[in-house]
Amino acid sequence: MGDILTLVGKRLGLGLIILLVISLIIFFMVELLPGDIAQAVLGQSATPENLAALRREMGLDQPAIVRYLAWLSEAITLDFGSSIVTDARVTEIIGERFMNTLFLAAYAAVIAVPVSIILGVIVALLRNSIFDRVANVISLSFISSPEFFLGYILILYFAVKWGMFPAIASLSEGMTFLELLQRTFLPALTLVLVVMAHMMRMTRAAIINLLASPYIEMARLKGAPPWKVIVKHALPNAWAPIINVVALNLAYLITGVVLVEVVFVYPGIGQALVDAVSKRDFPVVQACCLIFAATFILLNLAADVGAILTNPRLRHPK
Amino acid sequence: MVFVILYFALLLLLSCGAAYYNQRSAFLLLFSLTLVSLVLAIIGGIPALRFVAIAAGMLLAAGMMSYAFREFLTALASDEMAKELRTAPLTAAFGMFVIFIVAVMGIFAPAIAPHGEAEIISQAFAPPDNNMLLGADQLGRDMFSRIIYGARNTVALALCGTVLAFILGAMAGLLAATKGGFFDGTMGRIADVIMSIPSLIFALLMLSIFGGSLAAPSTSAWLLFGFAVIVGTLFLAAAAYSVLSWIIGAAIVVGVSFAFALAFTSVFDASEVILILVVAVIYSPRVFRLTRAVAGNVVVMDYIEAAKLRGEKNWYLIRREILPNSTAPLVAEFGLEFCFVFLLIAGLSFLGLGIQPPTADWGSMVRENATLISFGEITPLIPAAAIALLTVAVNFVVDWMLHRSSGLKE
Amino acid sequence: MTDIKDQMLLDRLAAAAREGKISRRSFMHYAAAAGLTTTAATGLWTGAAKAQPAKGGTFRLGMHDGNTSDTHDPGTYVTFSMIQVAHTYRSYLTLIEPDGSLGPDLASEWSASPDAKEWTFKINDNATFHSGNKVTANDVIASMNHHRGEETTSAAKALLADVEELIDNGDNSVTFVLASGNADLPWLMTDYHLAIVPANEDGTANWQSGDGSGPYKMEEAEFGVRYTLTRHDGWHLEGAYFDDLELIVLNDPNARQTALVTGDVDAVTQLELKTLALLQRDPNIEIDDVPSAAAITMPMLCDTAPFDNVDVRNALKLSLNRDELVEKIAFGAATKANDFHHSPAMPYFPEGIEQREYDPDQAKSLLQKAGAEGLTVNLSVADSVFSGAVDMCVLFAEHAKAAGITINVNREPNDGYYSDVWLKKPWCVVQWGARPTPDVMYSLAYKSDAAWNESRWQNERFNELLLQAKAELDDTKRAEMYREMAILAKDDGGTIIPFFPNFVYARRKNVQHGENLAPSWQMDGARACSRWWFADA
Repeated sequence: MGDILTLVGKRLGLGLIILLVISLIIFFMVELLPGDIAQAVLGQSATPENLAALRREMGLDQPAIVRYLAWLSEAITLDFGSSIVTDARVTEIIGERFMNTLFLAAYAAVIAVPVSIILGVIVALLRNSIFDRVANVISLSFISSPEFFLGYILILYFAVKWGMFPAIASLSEGMTFLELLQRTFLPALTLVLVVMAHMMRMTRAAIINLLASPYIEMARLKGAPPWKVIVKHALPNAWAPIINVVALNLAYLITGVVLVEVVFVYPGIGQALVDAVSKRDFPVVQACCLIFAATFILLNLAADVGAILTNPRLRHPK
Repeated sequence: MVFVILYFALLLLLSCGAAYYNQRSAFLLLFSLTLVSLVLAIIGGIPALRFVAIAAGMLLAAGMMSYAFREFLTALASDEMAKELRTAPLTAAFGMFVIFIVAVMGIFAPAIAPHGEAEIISQAFAPPDNNMLLGADQLGRDMFSRIIYGARNTVALALCGTVLAFILGAMAGLLAATKGGFFDGTMGRIADVIMSIPSLIFALLMLSIFGGSLAAPSTSAWLLFGFAVIVGTLFLAAAAYSVLSWIIGAAIVVGVSFAFALAFTSVFDASEVILILVVAVIYSPRVFRLTRAVAGNVVVMDYIEAAKLRGEKNWYLIRREILPNSTAPLVAEFGLEFCFVFLLIAGLSFLGLGIQPPTADWGSMVRENATLISFGEITPLIPAAAIALLTVAVNFVVDWMLHRSSGLKE
Repeated sequence: MTDIKDQMLLDRLAAAAREGKISRRSFMHYAAAAGLTTTAATGLWTGAAKAQPAKGGTFRLGMHDGNTSDTHDPGTYVTFSMIQVAHTYRSYLTLIEPDGSLGPDLASEWSASPDAKEWTFKINDNATFHSGNKVTANDVIASMNHHRGEETTSAAKALLADVEELIDNGDNSVTFVLASGNADLPWLMTDYHLAIVPANEDGTANWQSGDGSGPYKMEEAEFGVRYTLTRHDGWHLEGAYFDDLELIVLNDPNARQTALVTGDVDAVTQLELKTLALLQRDPNIEIDDVPSAAAITMPMLCDTAPFDNVDVRNALKLSLNRDELVEKIAFGAATKANDFHHSPAMPYFPEGIEQREYDPDQAKSLLQKAGAEGLTVNLSVADSVFSGAVDMCVLFAEHAKAAGITINVNREPNDGYYSDVWLKKPWCVVQWGARPTPDVMYSLAYKSDAAWNESRWQNERFNELLLQAKAELDDTKRAEMYREMAILAKDDGGTIIPFFPNFVYARRKNVQHGENLAPSWQMDGARACSRWWFADA
């Protein structure tokens, strides 16, 4: 157990360094973007004088490195500052939206993860049968179509033709939980379809990969029924790659949903990030990217820890 | 009515035939189709039955096509290859067939397409007719011709992006596995950093900085040159073992990189080059990780130890021992990454950062017509189906390779 | 009236009038045909159409173009959705009426000195802010000063650059003293930046609170996402029929469209034109197609080769087929333009100037004259300029082939298009929002020393006329001057103007509006919320 704790500690420390590097990269990328905040805010209708005035007001006349350090010294204390454009606190802008994103991700994950793992086990059991092929083709077709397109098709059937779910997933105060689930069903379903195939295929592959090993052969010769061979003998050893893929997809559910948010008008963090990039609003971009990166790092860490915990052989390395 | 009678008669005849000749799986398949058709015919009437018949017919046609294609390939290939090919399931043969067709479409696009890529020949959204097999798009350009040109542009871009990502990622991964230590650690952290930034955002930022026609051809050429030098340095690090070989190697790398940059920029225009590079940078860490993991498993094997004791150099180890033993998962990953790259490019064109018009690519064709789907029009489904078909096909082939590499014989 | 058929016709007419499908003029025409006297018909019209607006209901509007970084600051209003919201919770001194004329908002009346250098606006005595305070001259001055002075960050600074002094006359009126005469000042006051906000003690504008004197009071503002508002009961004008408003930002065109079809919203802005015909089939939806003063321009830098040659410019102007562009790019929802930036939806429109048509042969001979046969030029464009912008350029390139011109279409990134491409690349595509008068438009983008003289066009006569027309209070003389300027711009200018896009927006059938729709912004001059009503409320 102690090993795991040191591993976690080490990885967390490393994660912080990675975050620092990322913040530096993002800062300079935003700096390199053509145009600046003042131009973005005033849009087409700016004169050189008001650009200069706005830049002064926003403190853009200072050198980049000074601004980065100023930001960093606040960020270490977990204070992400205020948006340059609107002056609102970054935490205020992002906080609620991040919660929305998390909710949608959780909603999709609760459906997608169990379903795809169970389906994966089933197709591994029935490998090379018609069922396997059909499940394969269908899931592949889903990941193969661009997700915005998938969203449009779902809207066409579920919202326009059958009127079962609303076409836009805008949230309002005082919605009951059930209403919330109903409102956000279509975006969640789109995400489920997008991530399911990957997890299902990995489950199938990981199990099939083990089927040639001697101990499975042994179990089979012992006369165990096929489902038992897979669930009791193969699955426990297949967890590591499965957990890895699940973590990767969970991260995607949180960080990669900009297109789904746009299609369903869901007030998540991705939309805020794209808006902030177009306005060159550096503190907001930075905070969003760091949240994404931290999510990714933590999920990866969780996957590794999970892999170790589920596999005794990894728990006691030689 | 005649259709119904004929249909069921045929199915029953075939099922009985299969049963008589002890073809168990064929019998099961045929008879379950018969039962399903029966149930559907009762529920949905003749239209539903017709649908099932058409679907079954298409499946059958695809199956026969795949079978014939596999036989064709085995007839052409050398003995060893033929042996391998014969183990390919029909799905894999189907995948190869689709890839083959797309490749032909792409290479001979100008000869196949009845109309030009940007040629406006009719009204917007004109329905299909003899002249335009799939109708017209929003400007009155022939959909069919654009699909064919799209195969060329989209696949070429995605392929180049994936190949570059693989060269960079795999090279770094192999090297990290063999060298270990500090180099391994640094590479791993760089990969972590790139992977932690969401790919769409990363692409958005990079393309906004370098992209569009702001990308002067010289910028893109320099970026390509830089990329090639990095890859070349990795090669050098693996292959060079003395100061002299470093110096000679460096000269070769610079020369080759220069030629590479020139060749590339003459084929693609500046913004496409940037797109390819961005894709390569975003996807190389995934390849790196996989290669590192696979090669890491190989490196600890006894035969590598033996080779090391023999005094073999890194380059020999990589080329002769590690690479051959990790090809299968790498190839499988290549197929998957290719699909992801494909979709990333489509997603980028949804955000307005894709390929320059009027160049046809499948992703932007879906996007340009996407809103039509809300009215039940199928125009946007055609390029989307093309994307889906190619991705499915690639994955079928990948599945087969994975299966082979798992060593499972059944 | 005796004939049963006539009676049925009248019933149908009255119904049509109620649903807002028919204009007053055609109503009178048909009513006369049915044998009604003018007085009777007028009575019926007012009975059927005028008296109909009913109070009540929650109006849900889906708007395009919203950004999380929108704010209450009138100086940096920039997105369309914010402009829409601004006209709902704040007021302006003047407004543009549905028929396109200038009307009173906060200012009940206004007058000018003979040289048009001093303008006095009398403030409506009934006008109040949502907080309950009366709107005073002091507030107006503070609001205007927000856009003036060295330190201002307002985008409307240029608009008020000529204002030298603002005087509180003490009788609830304000006098604007200008450096030079400007007959258009009352029109300028409709600009969306010039919203009136309460003044602070120190004379600065208090925009932060979100207080305003518009027809609706802001309840909750989630910028770039949604806004909820309720009626401001003491509003100083007629209208504001809805009880509550829910203004939702729907940036994706498909999302707007489906939300309208499924009834998740009652009206949407900015339809995607390519699916217009399909949307029309839906019996529950009414589409409003309103000619506007917005314009698509393609400025060529007149000081950069090859555009420094007027023959090359005119050859390019001749080598695009405007009819096909209107049909294929705007799907008919646009008004063909004639290379001068003065739309029929603006006042003083010069009728009868010969329309420039597609003529590749003449273009060829012009190029020959200029010694530039086989011309190759780059045209920069981005998807975000307007929906179909890139397609338009591709189409143009096809047209120009007939004149032996090769146009390379360069798709630039959406991001930063107006800072890196516009005014910098030799030839690009621009969308201009509607401006109230030709003077505003010409001074902004065609005057020789204007910061946004997008084609860097220099024409002495044009600039001379521009100055004269500006201070001219006589409408006939002014119209003559604008006519001459239009011809100059058409034959010598550096800007190709293919068409003026119409405003195309849609509503559910139960949403009603008056006979005209203001041409200044989408949604009835961005005032749909206070002008429209539910038929079944």
